[in-house]
Amino acid sequence: MSPNAVWVTALWRNSRLFKTASFRLAVLCAALFSIILAALLFFNYFATSQALEDQMRARVKDDFTTFSEEVDSEGSDAVIKEITERIAKPVTFGSYFYVADESGSRIVGNIDQVPIVPGWQKLSAVNANKSNTERGHEVWGQGKIFPGGFFIFVGQDAHHVLAEQRGLVQSYLWSGILAGLMSLLAGLVLSRSFLRRIDDINKTSLAIMQGNLKERVPIRSSSDEIDKLSANLNQLFDSNQALLESLKQVSTNIAHDLRTPLTRLRHRLEEAKVKGKTVKALRGEIDSSITESDQLLATFAALLRIAQIESGSRKKAFARVNLSELGERVFGIFQAVAEDEGKKLQADVTPDVYCDGDGELLLQALVNLVENAIRHTPNGSTIALRIKAPAIIEVADSGPGIPTEQRDKVLERFHRLDHSRSTPGNGLGLALVSAIASLHDTKVELTDNGPGLRASLALQPA
Amino acid sequence: MKLLVIEDDQATADHLRRNLTDNGHTVVLAANGKHGLTHAAASAYDAMIIDRMLPELDGLSVVKRLRATANHTPILILTTMDGLDDRVEGLEAGADDYLVKPFAMPELLARLNALARRPPVNTVQTSLRVGDVNLDLLKREVRRAGQPLDLQPQEFKLLEYLMRSDGRIVTKAMLLEHVWGFHFDPQTTVVETHMSRLRAKLDKGYDRAMIVTQRGVGYRLVA
Repeated sequence: MSPNAVWVTALWRNSRLFKTASFRLAVLCAALFSIILAALLFFNYFATSQALEDQMRARVKDDFTTFSEEVDSEGSDAVIKEITERIAKPVTFGSYFYVADESGSRIVGNIDQVPIVPGWQKLSAVNANKSNTERGHEVWGQGKIFPGGFFIFVGQDAHHVLAEQRGLVQSYLWSGILAGLMSLLAGLVLSRSFLRRIDDINKTSLAIMQGNLKERVPIRSSSDEIDKLSANLNQLFDSNQALLESLKQVSTNIAHDLRTPLTRLRHRLEEAKVKGKTVKALRGEIDSSITESDQLLATFAALLRIAQIESGSRKKAFARVNLSELGERVFGIFQAVAEDEGKKLQADVTPDVYCDGDGELLLQALVNLVENAIRHTPNGSTIALRIKAPAIIEVADSGPGIPTEQRDKVLERFHRLDHSRSTPGNGLGLALVSAIASLHDTKVELTDNGPGLRASLALQPA
Repeated sequence: MKLLVIEDDQATADHLRRNLTDNGHTVVLAANGKHGLTHAAASAYDAMIIDRMLPELDGLSVVKRLRATANHTPILILTTMDGLDDRVEGLEAGADDYLVKPFAMPELLARLNALARRPPVNTVQTSLRVGDVNLDLLKREVRRAGQPLDLQPQEFKLLEYLMRSDGRIVTKAMLLEHVWGFHFDPQTTVVETHMSRLRAKLDKGYDRAMIVTQRGVGYRLVA
């Protein structure tokens, strides 16, 4: 292989430029542009040639008219005389004449031979007997046979037309090549800049795949399609990062939260083994162990339920839910429970409030919110259960509330304000409500009830 | 009772057989859906326990086929924890009750008892009577020994369910499901609260308490 070919091959292999869609598009555009340009130039060439030829025809026609009139009025001899004179004059440069008698032999003329046919003729490589036209000429002109066989041909040297045409072809060729090269170059530059931006995206996704979750695609201010793609990708990367972080958090929390009851369970079993002298004592320890494992199972069940809700499969069973009826029902059930806990549950239910959703899950969400309020407020607190138009579930209490910076956190799995994890409950209640809210395309809004906490869910009215 | 258990997990099947036999039931085991169907067609059972996930033919299909052949034996479906839709699907297929694995044996026994003695569907009752308690479903009135009791709606519903249970044990989960429509464990003492209030009204002043707590299992209404 020649060094040149090696270089080209290497360039081809190493440069992804030639493999990009943008490069192919640039080549295609250049080709298309060249074709259009060629068509335009061809048309222009044709029109210009035609115009030049028309000029020649006009000049020849003028001469011919004069000769024809002379033939008619003064006879052919006068014309022969005039033509002979014209040929002799140096001013007739570029004009050609040929006159033949009825037998076809030349009478006079500055061209060797002309076919005796009437009409417009293009004679190439004419042997003209003029001193200033040594080389073979192309002569275009008009022939006419007069009654009696008398033939006159008047022509003009076409060399300026041909020169013009050659010039046109040459300039067109060069401008065509230049335009093609320039459009290709422009395409290359464009595709290079395009490629660089795609490269940025590739580098970023690669970095993220390698674990550098904070990497983001740079965004220019042009807000074009690539910027939009980059912005969307960045959002995807954001949610990916958030998900991975929450997954990490959840895994850690699960490990912590399950370790405690598992440790307790183990201790109980150890103690039962050592101290369980009587059947009654053993039974007691075993009962406690069962209770402990039941709590563990309940935690697992709650976790799985959240995951199930998050999977979104329940969405297909959405129907019209009577929130007012749901509110009254929950109030009826929990009024007594709150009272027993030393708290006051009030209901403010707007009648005929309907939403689109999963009735069973919305019941659980409302129950969780009410139970949360009952469990996390001091004695004497007031809890208000509200169902408001258009479709809002709200539970507000007069308890200690949740600090602003903690409000997002409490919706996460196992997050508790009390870090000792000594209060009862699995720390999944609000996470479950949050998952139910997400399923209904909404969020749990936690706001200050001044004092206390106000949790509300704005659902889709139906 | 004569029970058919269709369960592929050997440990669970053995556990079920041992406990059900200890409680006086006769148990026939089938390890997959096809065998289960053969057994169900071969003889009559008082109730069936069918696992949702079975080899060869899954539990739901077994239930559907049984119902398609006009077999109305009460069926309890066993499901895993992560099947949020399992209950609805199971009931739609024609099962009568469901239980999530792992379950407590008393819970299963209580539910089996409730299933097997389910009253005929089409009888319309206007009043219930257990011992000297009379519950009028139309007037929403309750009397014990002729004395009217002033019950709150929740207490009324609770008593109605207890009376319909005909002296059998009802578990907390059964009460939550049937009285309040809760298919989840509440974090507060919903059952205990209403039970103690009902108790206070029903049994106060009478020397014999009708509501009996079965420790670790549930409640029972005795005549």
